[in-house]
Amino acid sequence: MIAESAQRFEALEAQAQRLLASFTRAGYEHVAPSIIQPANMFLDVVGESLRARTYVFTDPGGDELCLRPDLTVPTCRLHLARHPQGAVPARYCYNGSAFRYQQGGDTSAHPREFRQAGVESFAAADREQADAEVLAIIVEAVRDAGIASFQLRFGDLGLFRALLGALSLPERWRRRLQHQFWRPDAFRAELNRLTSAAALRAPALKAEVIDRLDPDQPAGAQSEVEAYLERAGLTLLGTRTLPEITERLLAAAADARESPLPAATANAIESYVAVKAPARAAVRELNRLLRGHRIDLSEPLQAFQRRLDDLDTAGVITDEAEFSAEFGRNLEYYTGFVFEIVVPELGPKSPLAGGGRYDSLLAEVGAPVAVAAVGSCIHTERLLAALQGTAA
Amino acid sequence: MSEKLILALPSKGRLMEQCATALARAGLSVAKSGSVRGYRGEIAELPDVEVNFVSSSEIAHFLQQGTVHLGITGEDLVRETIPDCEARVSFLKRCGFGHADVVVAVPICWIDVGSMADLEETSLIYRRVHGRPIRVATKYMNLTRRFFAQRGVAGYRIVPSLGATEGAPAADLAEVIVDITTTGATLRANGLKVLSDGVILKSQANLIASKLASWSDGARQVKAAMLARLSCWDWEPSAPPQSKR
Repeated sequence: MIAESAQRFEALEAQAQRLLASFTRAGYEHVAPSIIQPANMFLDVVGESLRARTYVFTDPGGDELCLRPDLTVPTCRLHLARHPQGAVPARYCYNGSAFRYQQGGDTSAHPREFRQAGVESFAAADREQADAEVLAIIVEAVRDAGIASFQLRFGDLGLFRALLGALSLPERWRRRLQHQFWRPDAFRAELNRLTSAAALRAPALKAEVIDRLDPDQPAGAQSEVEAYLERAGLTLLGTRTLPEITERLLAAAADARESPLPAATANAIESYVAVKAPARAAVRELNRLLRGHRIDLSEPLQAFQRRLDDLDTAGVITDEAEFSAEFGRNLEYYTGFVFEIVVPELGPKSPLAGGGRYDSLLAEVGAPVAVAAVGSCIHTERLLAALQGTAA
Repeated sequence: MSEKLILALPSKGRLMEQCATALARAGLSVAKSGSVRGYRGEIAELPDVEVNFVSSSEIAHFLQQGTVHLGITGEDLVRETIPDCEARVSFLKRCGFGHADVVVAVPICWIDVGSMADLEETSLIYRRVHGRPIRVATKYMNLTRRFFAQRGVAGYRIVPSLGATEGAPAADLAEVIVDITTTGATLRANGLKVLSDGVILKSQANLIASKLASWSDGARQVKAAMLARLSCWDWEPSAPPQSKR
């Protein structure tokens, strides 16, 4: 990226101060977590795909460090340093640099060094209300900055989880589909496998072991597997344990005996994933769709509706917000409501702001219990570019 | 660099010997010039070629930067080192030696894991039990990331490994490795097996041109003369690695 001019720096700073002022007015405490973060813990959490874009280095003392690729994880760490028990309500805001390698080169829409201004809300009792509050604050800040026209995009990974929960299928299939959700190809492949009796019974690995395992008698399975390894002259190598190997073989044994997923159920899942409509119309469409499949999702859909109502009350106009059941698939650590703010100047590939609910991240960073969390940040360079009409 | 064409050749090991043999078969005799231990050389039949002897991985770097016109090195190293490989280099000829497969290997005792999809599922359980992602030891960080992403495997972390990667699982330094193999014997001796869909790249030595080098007319002519000599190497240029499952 071209060296930042003093003028541009001043403009970004002035803009950041306005954003922060609007966050602190809303009751969010201004924090400044460290730019340099321990690489190991950070990278365990964000996954290898973001790691590939993270600037990692070893300092002269031999410690593995990184330049933070976002401010959410550092803010989680800051919260846990203050409140090791984790589940203490807190609301933070920040404005600071984040760093990511950009495969397409360092451009003004995707700079490798950029500033995020955002908010995080932890341990709020009412999740939908907290979701709405965070989005409303970001929308207000964007409007205050001078953006008059923008498009909201919504998704809800919690709804998908609720759908799986309402369907009758083995818990391990639920976990697998949930896990594969954000990888469309793998998801489709898994759904195809589950609906095919032949695929489920396909001679799995080591059929001679699997055939001896009784999924209803898991207690005896481990010694069965151990005996097989011994007969085959195989010793355990590395850190992965016998119970882990047994668990997967038992799952394969159970799959082989399971009736395949009814086509209607797979169909319901696929129809859900395909839903894309203005948010309120989407709720109606989902209600109709699920009624047709005799699936009861009234509670989570009411929660979704309540969030929309809260947003409207807060002055966020949701009429034209677009809900897409697929949206959020590519964002690994989100667990619930997700959103993006898109402006025509920058296009859908460079959202001005984004965020969502991530209820499992704090526990992964070290909290002893799961802590409800929702946050969002504004890409400040893009905001400035949209305002100045200098979008790349 | 006016009219000379700079050719980078491996400076040591089997690859160096195989290069010399293959070039000799094409009637090109490579000789070190200057002091015996020097890293420069020449080709008697092509006086406008200046040979630089450097390590195989450095050849990939030089091709990337355009500090040499041509180089002979392993396709694995080039695809690993240069992110937008097709934009920066052209694979001119496969050399027919230096064969090595870059593969994903796991312990043989993992009788529940045979494919990349198994590996992904395994990583979920592993994380739940051990509180951290599965570790993959490799020196091929970029090839590994691209391949794992294509196969939808995400629950892992790379542990950089600079040597004896096949020993990492036994030493509890990693659970999985990505490494090169020719016969698989070393992997087996270390209690490892290759996943059924775990071949990332079938690599061999290639003659590679840098698109970023300064290609003067003179250098182009020398390249053409050299390729004419090498026409007895009958191999096609490498195809890009398969990108779909």
